Amino acid sequence: MFRSILPRAAPKSVLQSVRGAQTSFRASNIYFQDRLRRGYASEAEEKDLVIIGGGVAGYVAAIKAGQAGLKVACIEKRGTLGGTCLNVGCIPSKSLLNNSHLYHTILHDTKHRGIDVGDVKLNLATLMKAKETSVSGLTKGIEFLFKKNGVEYIKGTGAFVDEHTVAVNLIEGGETSVKAKNIFIATGSEATPFPGLTIDEKKVITSTGAIALQQVPKKMVVIGGGIIGLEMGSVWSRLGAEVTVVEYLGQIGGPGMDAEISKMIQKMLTKQGMKFKLNTKVMSGDDSGETVKISTEAAKGGKEETLDADVVLVAIGRRPYTSGLGLENIGLETDDKGRLVIDQEYRTKIPHIRVIGDVTFGPMLAHKAEEEGVAAVEFLTKGYGHVNYGAIPSVMYTHPEVAWVGQNEQELKAAGVKYKAGSFPFSANSRAKTNLDTEGIVKFLSDAETDRILGVHIVGPNAGEMIAEATLALEYGASSEDVARTSHAHPTLSEAFKEAAMATYDKAIHY
Amino acid sequence: MFATKRLLQQRQPLIKFLGKRHTPSKVDHTPHAHPASPTHTLPESFATYRQKAQQHGPLNQSAQFSSGSGFIGNRPGASLGPVEPNNGMYFDRSELPARFQRLAWSQAEIEAIESGGASLYA
Repeated sequence: MFRSILPRAAPKSVLQSVRGAQTSFRASNIYFQDRLRRGYASEAEEKDLVIIGGGVAGYVAAIKAGQAGLKVACIEKRGTLGGTCLNVGCIPSKSLLNNSHLYHTILHDTKHRGIDVGDVKLNLATLMKAKETSVSGLTKGIEFLFKKNGVEYIKGTGAFVDEHTVAVNLIEGGETSVKAKNIFIATGSEATPFPGLTIDEKKVITSTGAIALQQVPKKMVVIGGGIIGLEMGSVWSRLGAEVTVVEYLGQIGGPGMDAEISKMIQKMLTKQGMKFKLNTKVMSGDDSGETVKISTEAAKGGKEETLDADVVLVAIGRRPYTSGLGLENIGLETDDKGRLVIDQEYRTKIPHIRVIGDVTFGPMLAHKAEEEGVAAVEFLTKGYGHVNYGAIPSVMYTHPEVAWVGQNEQELKAAGVKYKAGSFPFSANSRAKTNLDTEGIVKFLSDAETDRILGVHIVGPNAGEMIAEATLALEYGASSEDVARTSHAHPTLSEAFKEAAMATYDKAIHY
Repeated sequence: MFATKRLLQQRQPLIKFLGKRHTPSKVDHTPHAHPASPTHTLPESFATYRQKAQQHGPLNQSAQFSSGSGFIGNRPGASLGPVEPNNGMYFDRSELPARFQRLAWSQAEIEAIESGGASLYA
């Protein structure tokens, strides 16, 4: 009975100092002050899990933890959930890619399909608004999921005070702190800046600025021919910009893309109007004038050139984001690339602090972060989680799309693995023919002895959806014959996938 | 279903039906390098931290409290046998650790009882 009224744990001295003489009466407000003070001391409720970062890794882990019945809070400083992916990455860029592709199709590709269109105009403001509608719908959807699964959402910037406490600087002003038995760091990544260029997100932009340009630039230079650079380059090229991509390596699409596929997509994008300068180093940039001047040099000592652009997109990669996190307060260090070091269960050296997503090892992909979010919570609740880093698909959403999973030919050759390769062109696929969209191939790589699939590489229409089947096959250790003997509906693009599998273990029918 | 079964008698696919996933009965929780780690090693700090964190804790199986045999830290607590008193013997509450003992009355509670609760509102 008294427990609820007067906490017994309250030290006597505090009580007496307020009360004064024991027999005297006191005003009721003094009594309540007294209660309040002690209320604070016992109030701090410890969470089972606090997640710093409400991006794809963080929010998925929060929902999963909520479903598992943990008391969980998620700290996010952006003001909206979903992180880079939903707010300034995958989602808005897909909106722009899809709509700019439609615009480009209507402009250049309808006549021979029997559709005569009149005056076609671009309304960039509405295009951007459509993008924002998609983004806000999705981010609000996560907030709803948080409520549904009992996740506390704290809007603010979290920083470690000690190994169990995170101080939060609230967006709306004020501060709070949360204590937790377990803490996940899911603070993600940021665009790597280019030394010598100041990013103002107007003339010199990262992917964040590239999805929010107010007008179509006349000339655009993209530094870095990776997936982000090519996707955003595609968008503005379709909308009318003259886009030049400068890449240090000898191929576009990054080192993970199969060399044969990379060459094919480069040809296709060149046909669409993009220009490429491979094996080229950007030496310096000058953004002081009206336009930005970029000095380049052939990578293997040689020709110098100056490129002039209205807008320069810096897309040389992303780096883990840990600034302001207070890592020094708990003695956590990062590796040479700024990643937090973890073990096989995502634990840092402090076992109750785990790290997931872009801020640690592995490819910086949203779906990889999602897998890790689920696995890390399962390690917490069940002691066992699963992510197969050998079967994580990569997709580039240009047109045509490029998608791959597993190993590519260069990697297999370097590892000395004996393999068989089989491919099938979309030009021999009935559905691609009816769609008048026949560029690209599906390519299988399987073990020469066991026929087990080692990698699948696709460039072509709908490659991003098709790669799901390849990932499933790889995850379950299927052979190319297993895929080839599975019935695929006719007429679909996925028949090209089946035929490529047939070509790998035997022969394709339609080619 | 049966059609697939009949087919399987002739050709065994490489893909295998794994069935419902279960948590393995034995999982090695000791820290190893993350599968996506570029160096495939863990920095020394992992072991150092663990050593430091365990030196007083129950996880430390070796040394510290067990310089000779027969010390508590040497064996898991469970191996010491049940904690119940011998037959016919009973523990008094006051012999138990403080957290099991009755809480002391605070002055405020005594007053509340003596005044019939009036002191709470005075």
